[in-house]
Amino acid sequence: MASEEAFDSALDLLRRLNPKDTAKNVDLLCQIAPSLTEDLLESVDVPLSIRKCKKSGREYLCCDYNRDGDSWRSPWSNEFDPPLEDGEGVPQSDKVRKMETKANDAFDVYRELYYEGGISSVYFWDLENDDFAGCVLLKKSVSPISKSSGGWDSIHVFETIGRGRTAQYKLTSTVILSLGADAESLGSMDLSGNMVRQVEQEMSVEDDSSHVANIGKMVEAMELNMRNLLQEVYFGKAKDVVGDLRSIPSLSETNRDRATQREMISSMSK
Amino acid sequence: MPGNAAALSSFIESAPPGELSNVTTAIKNIVAEDQSLLQSLGPAFEKYNEEQFTTVKLPGGSREVLVSEHNSLGDGRYYDVESQSSFAFDHATQKASAVQQHVLESEHADLVKSLLKSLTTHTSEHYPASTLSITPSTPSPSHIAIALVANKYSPSNYWNGRWRSLYLLDPSSGALTGSIRVDVHYYEDGNVRLLTNKAVDVKAGTSAQEVTKAIAGVERRYQEELNKAFGGLSEGAFKGLRRQLPVTRQKIEWDKVSGYRVGQDIGGNRTR
Repeated sequence: MASEEAFDSALDLLRRLNPKDTAKNVDLLCQIAPSLTEDLLESVDVPLSIRKCKKSGREYLCCDYNRDGDSWRSPWSNEFDPPLEDGEGVPQSDKVRKMETKANDAFDVYRELYYEGGISSVYFWDLENDDFAGCVLLKKSVSPISKSSGGWDSIHVFETIGRGRTAQYKLTSTVILSLGADAESLGSMDLSGNMVRQVEQEMSVEDDSSHVANIGKMVEAMELNMRNLLQEVYFGKAKDVVGDLRSIPSLSETNRDRATQREMISSMSK
Repeated sequence: MPGNAAALSSFIESAPPGELSNVTTAIKNIVAEDQSLLQSLGPAFEKYNEEQFTTVKLPGGSREVLVSEHNSLGDGRYYDVESQSSFAFDHATQKASAVQQHVLESEHADLVKSLLKSLTTHTSEHYPASTLSITPSTPSPSHIAIALVANKYSPSNYWNGRWRSLYLLDPSSGALTGSIRVDVHYYEDGNVRLLTNKAVDVKAGTSAQEVTKAIAGVERRYQEELNKAFGGLSEGAFKGLRRQLPVTRQKIEWDKVSGYRVGQDIGGNRTR
């Protein structure tokens, strides 16, 4: 068992090193400290990989939650690829698979409305006492449009605890956003990273389809929130820091202007 | 896969501005049982400090000087023309010691001194805090190396930034080549990094005034381009990834979502 200090330090390191290299750096950390492997793979989000469902022909997204050994489960066919050996894997309850199917249909609509393309996948699994948990995954890439390119990965993991007519939802969301531009006059510019947010909410539940609607509302609100946050950090904060490092107008002029402004204000207030 | 020592070196080399000590501490905690791995990191620290133009205050001095391969004297010593001193630099602790007087002896000594004068005036007008080193380039002695670094660290607000410019001037032709790099790290509830690299190749001239004017022009144009690029990414790739709201400007009615037919009922009459 890895020490807690080593694990915390590994997370701290990943929070500092180039976020574009997170997947590679997780592999390197697992090599350097094999005892951290399980915890790191479970708690660090990396860009989602894509597989094609052999049965439906539709693409789906892969993460730790639809993986069993070297096989991945398609949310469209509910089948593992490559197929699991007999007796392997723990199938979901019918109730949870039914909700999962509904959620996949609902988030497919959501994906089309917000992403106008991309891929979505939803995976649910059973918890004790008839409760359940799941993850909602969304991925979209844009290939160079006017010399800029980008990729967005959303990873929403939630847990639902039923309380009679209400349920408590706990949602942890990560968005991995990579942007890049390349041009003669600009050179190369890479603006990439990830942000994480958590929220808990209690909502009323009439039947199983309420869960899908509740989770949908939470994910939709979270993504709106995070999109605004990303916009602020990527295009506001990062740009401001560049301005703090170097000033386009000359500093002595700026200081003179500020002094003049102060004088005007103080003379007006006299 | 690279070996463990190479992996750790790659972590050191990609440490964000002002966070090398945090990265080193984290590495120490992770490889606690393997001290020999830590011993092998010397070359990575040296590479980081020389590439990032790490700044240091000389003992007894108030000004900061920087280290790079261009002002290296070998054996871990570097020199600074302005203060006429050389110093030993410990790459692991980023501390300077053993300061000695060092007078520049070079056929370009006069040009170096005029460049220091005119470029210091320029940098103090555009960088709230910056460090400049101008010397004949150690790896390329026929060139004058102009290295500039501006850092701003605000770890309590979870961000740090660095602007680095390096120019090699050919004093006989007046050609100026080099690069400008910006590195910004933001890490509150996440990890966001801006990394840029702009190659510079201009005909500057052979006088200190001409070179300063060329550098001022190149840097100003670059910063304007970079500011434009933030807008371009925001309006281009970012918008193309995820909309703020669906075309209808309304949030989804999740209770009715199973009745939606994509692209018709909700998405307006969008044709694909």
